[in-house]
Amino acid sequence: MLTRAMSREGIQIDVAGLTKRFGPVHAVSDMAFSVRPGRVTGFLGPNGAGKTTTLRMVLGLVTPTSGTALIGGRSYRDLDNPIGTVGAALEAASFHPGRSARNHLKVMARAAGVQDSRVEAVLELVSLQADANRRVGGYSLGMRQRLGLAAALLADPPVLVLDEPANGLDPAGIAWLRDFLRALAAEGRTVLISSHVLSEVQQTVQDVLIIANGRLVREGTLADLDDPASRGVLVRSPRPDQLRDALRSVSITESGSDDGLVRVVGATPAEVGAAAFAAGVELHELYAEPSDLERTFLQLTTEEVRR
Amino acid sequence: MSPEPSPETSPETSPSVRTEAVGPSMTALVRSELLKIRSTRLWWAILIGAVLWTMLNAAIVAGTAGLEAGMGGQTSPGVDSPELLRTVYSAGFSGAYIFAMILGVTGMTGEYRYLTITPTFLVAPKRYPVVVAKLLAHVVMGLVYGVVAAIAAIAAGLPVVLLKGGDPGLLADGVPRAVLLSVVAVALWTLIGIGLGTLIKNQIAAILIGVVLAFLIEPLVNLLFSFLDSDLGKFLPTTASQALLDPYSAGFALLEWWAGGLVLIGYAVVFSLIGVLFSVRRDIT
Repeated sequence: MLTRAMSREGIQIDVAGLTKRFGPVHAVSDMAFSVRPGRVTGFLGPNGAGKTTTLRMVLGLVTPTSGTALIGGRSYRDLDNPIGTVGAALEAASFHPGRSARNHLKVMARAAGVQDSRVEAVLELVSLQADANRRVGGYSLGMRQRLGLAAALLADPPVLVLDEPANGLDPAGIAWLRDFLRALAAEGRTVLISSHVLSEVQQTVQDVLIIANGRLVREGTLADLDDPASRGVLVRSPRPDQLRDALRSVSITESGSDDGLVRVVGATPAEVGAAAFAAGVELHELYAEPSDLERTFLQLTTEEVRR
Repeated sequence: MSPEPSPETSPETSPSVRTEAVGPSMTALVRSELLKIRSTRLWWAILIGAVLWTMLNAAIVAGTAGLEAGMGGQTSPGVDSPELLRTVYSAGFSGAYIFAMILGVTGMTGEYRYLTITPTFLVAPKRYPVVVAKLLAHVVMGLVYGVVAAIAAIAAGLPVVLLKGGDPGLLADGVPRAVLLSVVAVALWTLIGIGLGTLIKNQIAAILIGVVLAFLIEPLVNLLFSFLDSDLGKFLPTTASQALLDPYSAGFALLEWWAGGLVLIGYAVVFSLIGVLFSVRRDIT
């Protein structure tokens, strides 16, 4: 076990009608979703979509213009034991550069009535014990991320909220984080992580919330949104008519074409290639379409670039 | 980043991770705020500045005692005068108060500058207890500053007084009270710093504005009042604080020492309230 056995029921996060305006700017508009215990939920969206503002409202740092964000039925500010209920890591930079990692954690531990032995435990958990007396100003981004994680876990909370936790981690670090968060969720904890890079969290999350321009645009399980069977295959040929005939002869259905680019569903790229080869049709491109999740995300990030 | 340790090898937690029922206690929050101050080196640097400035102040006041001032200024009384001795031995105030204010300013603005305000308010989301704890912790540190500055004032002033042939005069009329109150006044100025740091979140700007107000603007306003034959200047924060020490006034109007104390407490309360009220409402983005 990572920590104590989770005997009680998991704690759910419920957001309803959550809205925040900063002057004329609608940072978050009528956001509504639930985050279930026992799963890792990805809170995804391009930069500036309102992810951080939403998380800060959930954590009582930003006052909503309207709407509610409840953790197990209570707002964060009304929790009896705030960091013992929700552990949060919001940015990799919220440390005093002149303070050591150990003292940073002790400052929090003193205030929350957490024992110093727990400080050592979480330092060990994120492999920072050897560097714990160094001032944080000399830390790499990856080390700061781990210190943020240690701070979030300090009071052993059943809910974790992490903003861009994979940012600055190398591939080995991301793999470690994935196993770590999955293990926490498997204990019955509620784990909510945000990211603006889909690929960073694609193998970590089980549920997905996608937001853009301050609104929730898609939600569901990763299995539904990232189902390989729903992916089409795109194939380009200078002879699209011949290609269509060749595919039809092996009962592969074409679901649309555009300027020589043919889209088929229900077949793998290998099957499509084999059919074309058998019929002697020349191909210029052959690839699997991005999943629904990837398409949605790509579309949102492209819109962001255009704006 | 090393992939070790995996969650499976992580340590077992004691069941008593946290036992309190409702929110962090004030004692816990004050201890946390004190550790915040002690765990960076800034308070040392500021204290060294306060000690040096205090010793310079005390030595100059004692050294120039009884000398005729230039440009038609008043001649200060000699080292045998209790009011001059009060000025020398309570120089810890003049030497340390601006540094105490800077400690208070950095105690608040540092939280915004380094974004540590986020973990601070995550631990104590109701916020006002944590700001009250910050005020209390800074008063404690301010008392430490005040005591160290008082010792520095005596260490620098006493030899000069003796060299000029005076008696030590540490127990002369009002001297013990002035030394004691200089310690209290230094401590209260940390609260003014916290209020200022809440109003002006930019650390450099807040320090500059605080120093300029106390060292430049207030003397100018005081001068202006005296030209206008008004004695309103005695209610200004630095002037009221100095009245508390019942010093040699060099011709400026000063309140009675107790009235100066009440005015200083008033400023400290107002700036403390600013600290609490603005922090509680503010969005932390």
